[in-house]
Amino acid sequence: MAAADTPSATLRHHDLCSRGIRLARKMRSDVTDLLDIYVQRQGLDASISVAAVDGVPAAAAERWAEQTGTQRLLDNLAAYRAFRSLLAQMLEEQREQLGDADAELGPALAAVLLQVSAFTYHLEELLELESRGAPAEEGSEPPAPPRLSLFEQKLRGLGVLRELAQWAVRSVRDLRQLAKHGPGSGAALGLPESQ
Amino acid sequence: PQNLKCVTHNLHKMVCTWDISSKRRHGQAEFCYTTNDHLPRCYKTKEKRVEIPVPESSITVKITTYSISGTAFATRRFEINKKDISFVPLAPHILSLTPDFSTFTLTLKWSDNGSAFPYGLDASWEIEVLRKETMEDVTRESYNSKLTHEDVIHSWKWKSDMPLECTSHYVRIRLYINVTQFDGHKDWSDWSPVEVIPGKDTEPSGSGLFPQDTVVAVGSNVTFCCVHEEGRQVQRMSYGAKDYPLIRLSSRSSAIRVLNANASDASGTNIVCRMSENGMDGTVLFVGYGPDIPEELSCETSNFVIIKCTWKPGRASGLYGVRGTKYSLIESISGKNVSCEVNEMKKERVCGFPVLADQKTYSFVLGVSNPIGQTEASLLVDLNQRVHPETPEKLTVSGNSSTSVRLHWYINGSFAEIRLLCQIEISSAHSEQKLHNVSMPGGRFSTYTAQLNALHPYTKYRFRVRCSAADHFWRWSGWSGTEEHTTLEA
Amino acid sequence: QRHSQQDSHIQYERVGADVTMKCGSMDWDAAVTWTANGTDIDDSHLNGSYLILKNVDLTQSGQYSCYEGSSWHLKYQTYLRVGVPPKEPLLTCRSNNYPKGFYCVWHLPSPTYIPNSFNISVIHGTREMVCEKDIFPKNRCHIRYLQLFSTVKYKVTLTVTNALGKSSTTLTFDEFAIVKPDPPEFVVAKPVPNNPRRLEVSWQNPSSWPDPESFPLKFFLRYRPLILDQWQHVELSDGTSHTITDAYAGKEYIIQVAAKDNDIGTWSDWSVAVHATPWTEEPKHLTTEVQITETTSTSTSSFMPPPTTKICDKGAGVGS
Repeated sequence: MAAADTPSATLRHHDLCSRGIRLARKMRSDVTDLLDIYVQRQGLDASISVAAVDGVPAAAAERWAEQTGTQRLLDNLAAYRAFRSLLAQMLEEQREQLGDADAELGPALAAVLLQVSAFTYHLEELLELESRGAPAEEGSEPPAPPRLSLFEQKLRGLGVLRELAQWAVRSVRDLRQLAKHGPGSGAALGLPESQ
Repeated sequence: PQNLKCVTHNLHKMVCTWDISSKRRHGQAEFCYTTNDHLPRCYKTKEKRVEIPVPESSITVKITTYSISGTAFATRRFEINKKDISFVPLAPHILSLTPDFSTFTLTLKWSDNGSAFPYGLDASWEIEVLRKETMEDVTRESYNSKLTHEDVIHSWKWKSDMPLECTSHYVRIRLYINVTQFDGHKDWSDWSPVEVIPGKDTEPSGSGLFPQDTVVAVGSNVTFCCVHEEGRQVQRMSYGAKDYPLIRLSSRSSAIRVLNANASDASGTNIVCRMSENGMDGTVLFVGYGPDIPEELSCETSNFVIIKCTWKPGRASGLYGVRGTKYSLIESISGKNVSCEVNEMKKERVCGFPVLADQKTYSFVLGVSNPIGQTEASLLVDLNQRVHPETPEKLTVSGNSSTSVRLHWYINGSFAEIRLLCQIEISSAHSEQKLHNVSMPGGRFSTYTAQLNALHPYTKYRFRVRCSAADHFWRWSGWSGTEEHTTLEA
Repeated sequence: QRHSQQDSHIQYERVGADVTMKCGSMDWDAAVTWTANGTDIDDSHLNGSYLILKNVDLTQSGQYSCYEGSSWHLKYQTYLRVGVPPKEPLLTCRSNNYPKGFYCVWHLPSPTYIPNSFNISVIHGTREMVCEKDIFPKNRCHIRYLQLFSTVKYKVTLTVTNALGKSSTTLTFDEFAIVKPDPPEFVVAKPVPNNPRRLEVSWQNPSSWPDPESFPLKFFLRYRPLILDQWQHVELSDGTSHTITDAYAGKEYIIQVAAKDNDIGTWSDWSVAVHATPWTEEPKHLTTEVQITETTSTSTSSFMPPPTTKICDKGAGVGS
């Protein structure tokens, strides 16, 4: 599939990238605020370390600089789709655990969930522009959350938010790379046509 | 032969034992005894032990010892009086020891073996609970019963001050029977073999922080334990933001004791166990209050469709979400039960119950419960005496006369079975505000009409209306909106 | 004539310690002579043939030799080094070339007066990373990032050891927390002709910052007239120049710039301070006879004073 490289596509690509960068940076700032609320509301120690959490996409990337544009978009898309269902699970758990007493954490979580959903849609648009089309979501139902104790649930939530904050920074960097190389950068960097 | 002792375990038979002082090798011994009322009876034994019936009176015993070849060594006579005989019941037999991990409770069951004893004896039991690898004594409690000449299974519960998972708990029991008519020495039985409830620290992969996600009342003392794999070390355990001194339970279990726990936040207080090599485990404790008895429980209906009950909840429980306080309204006449949706953060408490066909009296019990406790309040309601109609709507005024008008208004609700009393407020610039009462049969979701006469011609009036139950007044409805009307010229 | 038989070795002792030296294999009651750096030590320090040094201090470091009384054979020689065990070292790690890697630098809060050896370990999750030591300065090494955007913390442990003891420091930090660029370079401030209230400031990304395009920096400019203490600040999210438009006419300004990654980490230290004075109108010449005849040159209307950029001492660190 030839990469769409018409002037209007380039302009649209640049616009999507810069809007995506702004959205990712806003998301990062809101997730950072949410983390503060979460740690405080859950009575956690901010310095507590959380081991890698199953089902939470790790932002850590090796040889990040060598990734193609398409790989970046696909990785981002998979991650934010996962975060979308993880945050929805967290919201459900908050309502169950805190009920009416939660006037702060739930709304903040819901706001971030909205941004994650918006960013996911944004990535899908970018992938459309890459004339690749966003991969279908594997199965609509997210995997049932593992049976965790309340403390494990709290740590898991912390792990999700920390990883999301890292992803937001990574997304800003990824989108900058994409903005540098223009649409179809997957192909531009020698990525084989059929993917 | 020396040190002849006779012990009975069941007041029927007794076992007599003796020692041999010399070191020479012995063959058999002959044990002969005689009482006042029968000839000597003899037993040959190698055991230095003979079981014979408990005598009614004193007995004379002659013990002769023989060599391997059968030649008699020595003979000795003993006088055994009734008071020389000891009564030591056999060690009790534990039937079962069952743990309830959620309530830290052990349930012990044993048989009192009463069939072996005459009816009516007082039995005293001592139950001992031990803990940790070192089987330290935790408590020793007494339990009394009466033997009924039948084997009765007794049950005893004990609540540990720490989760049963923390370390192994051991229980044993012994018996003392107070046989007043037995002259001899009476003593406690031996302890029963211990029954054990193994802690998680004995399971190969057992680990975790206990209790898990528990709810306790404010002021409780709570013990938390951190069970970990062999070789690991607990470095510190914290409750909330504060570290607590560690109590070693076993090589794989350490605990902290929190006294007089304060109310926790909505998300609970975290207890974190930090171990060597970055190991960490945690649990959450919710500390709150049991529900207060609801005050000022009051029920009324505004439309004979729904009965609305309100009450004052008392002190907030401090528990939320799934642990929040649950309310249910049970009507005992109909047996109907409704669970109430309540917002813990709002002061007002309301619950709706459907008006039932052909039922005028309602016996409500408002059940209130949360994980810490439960309570209730009750109320008997004659619905006709608790009518608080909704605010009249769609008030209209009509009339083409100079001295009278007709008012029409609608009330949402089904009042067919009662009479309504409505009050019309009449205001005008020239005269004082007047209240005109009118009563009428209630209707089902209907519009009501009233005529006012003796008005002044060509006068601008303002009308509004409110209603209540005519018989058994309870509360006025709200005032309707105001309607203006000018009477015609005379 | 003293004959050297014994090869000497180094003996480390703590300040304040009591030191006893035996004269090699000589008996206690043998007649011997002790010297310190070649100078005989008087008998008051001897207990038999043993040399006793009480509550040693730094000045007593030196070479101690023991000679047999009659034959003056050297029976024992040692080099005494008096010092202290190392205190907890001060360790700092920082990434000024993100995302390439980060460096750690350390020093001891107080001297030990004896040789120390430093060992540093860098753990990221379960992975041990190599910290390549710089040739100079010796108390610094750097680590290459193998992973970016990781939530797993880095744990750096520095252990310092000498003959008298050992001490260590551990730092735990997130990848983003230690990102701190070097200050902006080549800061230049120029007046803007015909604009008495403007100053044009420009600078460059620190050369140590490897990829400003993918990892853009934002900047923080502060400026004040020398006559005032209160700084004025302006944050610039992109670009490497700015025009100050509210300068006091004719007043000399001091200007500094700091840099920070657009999304993570902390502000750099302030750049070197530069000075500039906004453009001022050339003073009109007085119309008296004498003056006109002396100055015969014509004055041009546009006057471009050379940029008054003065390089001053390094500014104070920016609050992070």
